Order: sequence, then structure tokens, then C-alpha cells
Amino acid sequence: MRFTLYITLLLSSFSAFAQEGKKVQFVGGARSLLSHSDFTSKTDVEDTVTSRKMTGGYALIDLGFKINPNATTEILGMIRIKNDFGGFWGSGVNFDVRQLYVKGVAGNVLRYQIGNIDYKLSPYTFYNHNADMLVQSTASLKIKEDILNYETFYKNNTWRQQGAAADFALKFPKMIQEMKFNGFITRMNPTNMTNILERFYGGGNITIVQSKYFTIGGNHVSVFDLKQTAASNDAYRNSVSTGTFASSMEFDKIKFGIDGETGFSNSFSSQDNEGKLSDYFVNAKLNVEAKKLGIKFNLGYMDNGADFRSAGAQSKRVDYNQVNNYYDRYTNAQIVRPLSMYDLYNDPTLYTSSINTGIMTYNPSINNALPYGTATFNRKGIYSTLSYEDKKKIVAVSATYYKLSEIRGQGTLNLKSFDYLKGNLVFDVSNLLKWKLKQIINVGVAYQNTQRKSDLSFETISLKSTTMNVGVELEIVKDLSILGNAFMFSSVGNELLPVRNDKGEIINFNPYLVDGQELNISAGLKFNFSKDVYLACLYEQNKNNFNTLNPYNIKQLMLFYVMKF
Amino acid sequence: MKKIFLISIVGFSLLTSCRKEEIDKIDGPSLEDLNGAFSVINGLQSSKDSVDFAAGETVYFTAEIAKTTPWKLRVVGMTSGAEKIMTGTSKIIDASQTLWNGSTTNLPMFRSEICKVELTFPGLPDTLTAAVKVINPKVNAGFLISDFETGFNPGWTSFIQSGADMDFQIKSDVTAPEGNAYYNMAGTVDWDWLVGLINFKATAYSGATVLPLTSNPNNLYFNVMVYGEVGLTNSLVLFQFQEDEDANGTFDSATEDLYSHQITIDWVGWKLVSIKYSDIPCLVNGSPATANGNGQHNSDKINQINMLHLANPVSGFAKSKLDYIIFTENGPLNP
Repeated sequence: MRFTLYITLLLSSFSAFAQEGKKVQFVGGARSLLSHSDFTSKTDVEDTVTSRKMTGGYALIDLGFKINPNATTEILGMIRIKNDFGGFWGSGVNFDVRQLYVKGVAGNVLRYQIGNIDYKLSPYTFYNHNADMLVQSTASLKIKEDILNYETFYKNNTWRQQGAAADFALKFPKMIQEMKFNGFITRMNPTNMTNILERFYGGGNITIVQSKYFTIGGNHVSVFDLKQTAASNDAYRNSVSTGTFASSMEFDKIKFGIDGETGFSNSFSSQDNEGKLSDYFVNAKLNVEAKKLGIKFNLGYMDNGADFRSAGAQSKRVDYNQVNNYYDRYTNAQIVRPLSMYDLYNDPTLYTSSINTGIMTYNPSINNALPYGTATFNRKGIYSTLSYEDKKKIVAVSATYYKLSEIRGQGTLNLKSFDYLKGNLVFDVSNLLKWKLKQIINVGVAYQNTQRKSDLSFETISLKSTTMNVGVELEIVKDLSILGNAFMFSSVGNELLPVRNDKGEIINFNPYLVDGQELNISAGLKFNFSKDVYLACLYEQNKNNFNTLNPYNIKQLMLFYVMKF
Repeated sequence: MKKIFLISIVGFSLLTSCRKEEIDKIDGPSLEDLNGAFSVINGLQSSKDSVDFAAGETVYFTAEIAKTTPWKLRVVGMTSGAEKIMTGTSKIIDASQTLWNGSTTNLPMFRSEICKVELTFPGLPDTLTAAVKVINPKVNAGFLISDFETGFNPGWTSFIQSGADMDFQIKSDVTAPEGNAYYNMAGTVDWDWLVGLINFKATAYSGATVLPLTSNPNNLYFNVMVYGEVGLTNSLVLFQFQEDEDANGTFDSATEDLYSHQITIDWVGWKLVSIKYSDIPCLVNGSPATANGNGQHNSDKINQINMLHLANPVSGFAKSKLDYIIFTENGPLNP
């Protein structure tokens, strides 16, 4: 069979390698934050231990050298210089290497990247699910989320890893249009020469595009320990193999489609055959699009086995075992201040960029239905999304509803059921009134309800949570906008949280009782010097009463200067 | 287009219908077990009425309760006061958790005696009891330097300062951690750190000039039971291991290795101290130093062990007791 080899340009900006003929370019960003906060808590006795007011900030620059030694090679080295305010002349200045990679095209066929790679495959193999921020960010909340994503390299659900990746494609004259091949290998951890083996994570996929109406693919990823790299012989492995497909039929006014992913996983340690876990999953949905009406609808079914394990798709962004860096303790007794939504939006150090082979801790109040995203194990049920966007782009609304349940009970044969509704409305007033100045109102809501019914009171579970955000961006004069946000998170009820051993097996259950609310009101001004440079001044007040005995209140004034170049 | 689409729908339907039901499986321990009412289904029982540990026999204990519960099994020697403690969390208590080979958790060691067995549940008032008779206590494998049961070996030498209240002698009473005898070291010496010492010479055992020990210092453990007096924390016990590297029958401190293990007795009661021979450093005035010989731990060339009782001369009266000095292989002593 005759076919033509050609390069697919899946990763961004490759075509710009030498577009301006420059051998060396400077890329990067700069940011400065100045903040003043006021912390108060309600206690029986006045808190005389915690410092109430705090002022701080930093300036940082990420300076990257992008070198193109030839038309098909790009080298990027980026260093970060960060200076905490008050620490000039050497003290408090940090130098870090932020990015380092080489990428290029070998023989006009194979595209490769070595060093830092941002990678993803499919939602069940290698995917960075955002399972803790359930509502869309706008205005001041978006400034914070953008900074978080920049700091953690979260973009388009990729994970930042260190390793190598390559891809190429084959194009065919008939039967099928093309075949795409992707592969990667990353190093998860080095050996300590005694009991920890060298651990790698690798895999790839093949996508066959038959036509614009039918695509099929195969994915495989594996976490594996390299034997003989340490004294231990207990090598861990987690392999996930999946198939993806997408098929559609299109008519003038309507389009039908079906797509999904199915596969299986195997997880085991070489010296623990009894602990081997194997299971499979199915996730598929039917799609209908009324093209002229701007309405899209889908109805899906998912069935993720109780023993389905996929390290690359079930690792969480937030490490809930971390402690706060900001007002980590309060009251005279210096009790620990637990992670709140306020912290999740403000502190990038609470996030991780590593793939975790264990089962990570989660907050059931935030997301109990799908704590590990779509790839959450032990879930089955249906889901559906209805969305509408008018042609004038005045209104865009979407709502997704999940009706899920466990497959295998935890500590009981009775199964938990999960109702999860999330919706988002974007109202573009400027498009409605045909103003040049941008006026956006955004409303996002997420509601979860977990229930487990039982005749035994200690098995009964009822947990309800609501996350809501209303944000406005009102451009009052060219490039100057008023920002406003009202973010609310509440949760009430009980859960039994599994306590797991090192192997991930449940060994006990901890009762979890919650009845609290967090309210964050923020407002400010943002001035755009250009598309990638802005100055913003925000004031926010965050009230948190999840600790009913010691509720607290944080007021904060922040000044951001953000630049990308 | 239509055909592929229909095939996709059929395939999807097949995939979604193949889940095997898991109606009889649960993840984790049963909540009913964890939260149900506590009651005893089968009381505590011993697998034997009497056991001869010296003959390699073992004994185990069984019980069954209605819910998964943390438990603590305590075997107490009625004569010695020795304790063996085993803990777990389960509803069935069996040999896999309670097999006992005669070892002790807290000194002294068990003797030939009646033992009381108690099964308790933290936070609950219930206590289940049983009894077992130890015909002969456990025999520990290893090379015994001394348990002081047969008196002062004439092949040893000693030096005792002429201080006040000096009491360096073998004593016999029920407080011994093993057998009936131990070595008592006490006195006040206000001009020197050394209070007294014993030299355990290799020739005192089989006549050979070196102790009959393995040549692998990574597999050899030195063990001694040491007693700390109430209110006294000034005692130091220093064990010196002289290596006759050139096998000429004598130790030359200028050209051969002397390794020293210093024990600061800052606890009260009997305690087992164990150390791997290869981890014993060379000390000069209590500080690590370079050995004067080949710098290798030649455990098969030890020709003498010196046991020194030291105390700061300004600290006044010092006292300690020692018993059951033994070398073991493959691991520390499990008394």
C-alpha cells in the first residue's frame, strides 16, 4: 500500500520555530503581587497569638532563552528569579530553573521533545482532571486561577513531566485518511539505592482517522519500576489499555454522534499477587446537535469498575495532605486552619505536578461524586449535558447532570448514590447592546448530593454541597474594567471517609461531619496595557464558618502586575 | 456513514451491558463489624495447658468476638513478672496473631512458672483470662559471655577502685532479668572516672585465645541487659572489644583494633541493649577515632572484652547492674 509520511503539528507553536529567522529569542513572563491582609476569628477568648495583619508580596521574572540552532530544532531554558518583598540585595532572592527542553523534527518525519513535556492522552489513561474547581472562573477569580495554572503548568488538562515524547503520522490515499502515533516516557522517581526502585511512566496511542465521520484509537500507559535498580525486588506496575472511538452522521440541520472510551487496568506489585487489582470501564455518549438552533445535547453512560486504577488519570491536582502556608494556625490554641476554597484559589504550593500511584486524599464536600474526575473508580450511571449558544454570542448556557452510584459498597452492601448538577451561564451584555466595551456576566453553579440509605444509622450517609460563583467584568473605559465576584461554597451532612493502607486497601472509616459555608466577595479594577500585560487591584473578604466554634474572616487587598512576553 | 454509526451504537450497547454484578462484595471492613455491639462469642483459650519452650514448643491463644475490635493480649509470668504483649485489630483471634515462642516483650525473661494470660479491649471493661504453664523457658541461641549464674569465672580478671560504698559482686535475687543472678556494680570514686571493671578473657571459655565467633561482623550482635537505678543517671558502662589481629595471643593497643560501645544508663529498670558488631566504633575518651589496627571489624579475633563501670568523679554514688551478656547471629537477641 502506498502511503505518504508527513508530520502532524499537534503541539503548538512549532511552525514558529524560525518564523522570524531569529536564532535566539527571549520568552517568559513577569509578575508582581503586593498584598495586605487582615485576619480575624470568632473565639470565646480573644485571639492574642495569631498575627492579625500581614503584608507581603513578591516580584518574579521567568526569563527564557529560546534558541533555534537550525530550522528544525528548538531549545528552551527558562530560569526564575523571585524576590520576596523586603529581601533585596541577595536576601530572599531565589533562582530556579523553571523549564528546560529540546524539541525538533528528526528526518522531516518524527517530531520529538526531550526535557519538560506537557502531555496528555485520553481521560482514562493520562489526563489532568480539574476535580476541585467545579465552577467556571471569571473576573477576579479568573486572575487567581490563571496564576495557579501558570505556576503549576496546568493547561488543557496536561501534566508537566520530565522525559521524552515523540509523534508522527502516516497518511493514506484511500480507506483511511491517516494514522497518528504518539509516545512518551517520563521518570517518576529516582532510586534511593536501597528500597525504592527507579520508577517510570510511559505509553502512547494510535489514532486512526477513517474520515471526518469516524475515528478510532488505542491508548496504553504503564507505571513500572525498573528491577535491579535497588535492593528491593518489589516492583510496582499499573497498566491501562483503552480504546477510543468517535462516529457521527451529519445532515443540514442536525448532527448525530457517538463517542467514548473503554478499557481495562492491571495494578500489582511483583511480591504481592494477592493484592493484584484488575478492572475495566466503559464511558460512551450519544450527541445531538441542532446546528441552526445552537443547541447541543448528549446522553452518556459510564461504568468505572471499583478496582479500575489509572495513576495518570486519577492523580489529583490538589494535595490535601499539605498544610496552609498562609495563616496555617489560628486562635490562642493555634488550631490548624484546614484548606479552604480561598486557599485553593490563592496558593499554588497546595498543588502537585507529580503522578501519584496511591489513592490521593480528597475533600468530599468539594467533590464527592467524581473526586478523581471522569476516571473516578467505583462509579456507574448516566450523565447528560444540554448547552445553548446564540449566534450573536449574547448568551451561552450549559448544564450537565450526573446520576451515579457506587458499583461496590464501602463497608456495606448498600451503595451510595450521587446526584451532581453543574451549570454555567455567560451573558455578554456588550454583544446584546452592541457596545465596544466588554461587559460580561457569568454565573456558575455546582450542586452535589450524596446519599446512602440503610436501616443501620451508622451506615447512613447524606452529604449536600453547593458551589456558586457570580462574576462580572465591566469595561468602563477602553482597557479599564471593573471586576466583581461573589463566590459561595457550602456543605452540610455526613460521610464516612475510607482510611487506606500503603497498598490502597481500605482498613477503616473515619466519620466526617460538616455544616459550614464559605463566602468570598471580591471587587477591583483591572487595566490591560495589552493583551498579555495588565495591572489589577482587588479587594476581597472571605468568611468561613466550617469550624463552627472558630469561624474566621480574611480581608485582603491585592495588587497584581502580570506580564507575558 | 450510516453503517458505521449503527455499528458504533450496537458496539456501545454491548459494552455497557457486560458489567458483572458485585452484589456480594464490599470494600474495606464491614461497618457492622466496626460499629455493632461488642460481645464475646468464644472466650480466651490456650492451645496447651503447659509448654516446653526449651524443646522448641510454642503455644497460641484463641478467642472470637462479635465485631472487629482492637485487642491486647498480655501474658504475665506469675513468678518473674515477665510480660509478653501482643496486639491486633480483628474479630477472630487465632494462631496467626498470637503464636508465642516464649519470648518476652518487657524484661525479665520468663522462667519455669505459671503464666496468667489476659485479653483486654481498649476502652471496654471486658477482660478474658486463661493460664499456661511454662515447663522450661526459651533457650536463646548464641555465645554466652556470662549470665552470672555459675559465679565469677576464674579466667576473668577484675579491678575495683578503693572508693566508698563499693559493691562489685554477683548477686542472686528475684529481680534478675534472666535466671537468678546478675552482676552488681556500685560505689563512689571521687578521683577517677573508673569505678571498676571486669576483663572477660577468651581463654576463660574454651582455652582458645579468641572467642569462637563468626567472622562476619555484619551478622553478629552484642547484647547485654542493663539495669538503671531510680534517681541515678550518672552511670556509664563501657564495653571494649580487643582484637588480636596478628593472632599472637596478645593484644597490642598500638597496632591492633580496640572497638568500644559506651552505654549511658539514663533509664530506670532492666533494658536490653543490642548492637551490631560492625556498628561498634573506635572511641578515644568517648569520641570516635581511627582504629590503630587494620580498621576492620574482625569479630573472629576478639581475645578479650573489658566491661568498665564509669562515672563522673563529681557525680557521687553510681550504680548499675548487668546480666546476660551474649553474642547472637542473624539479629539482635529476642529474649
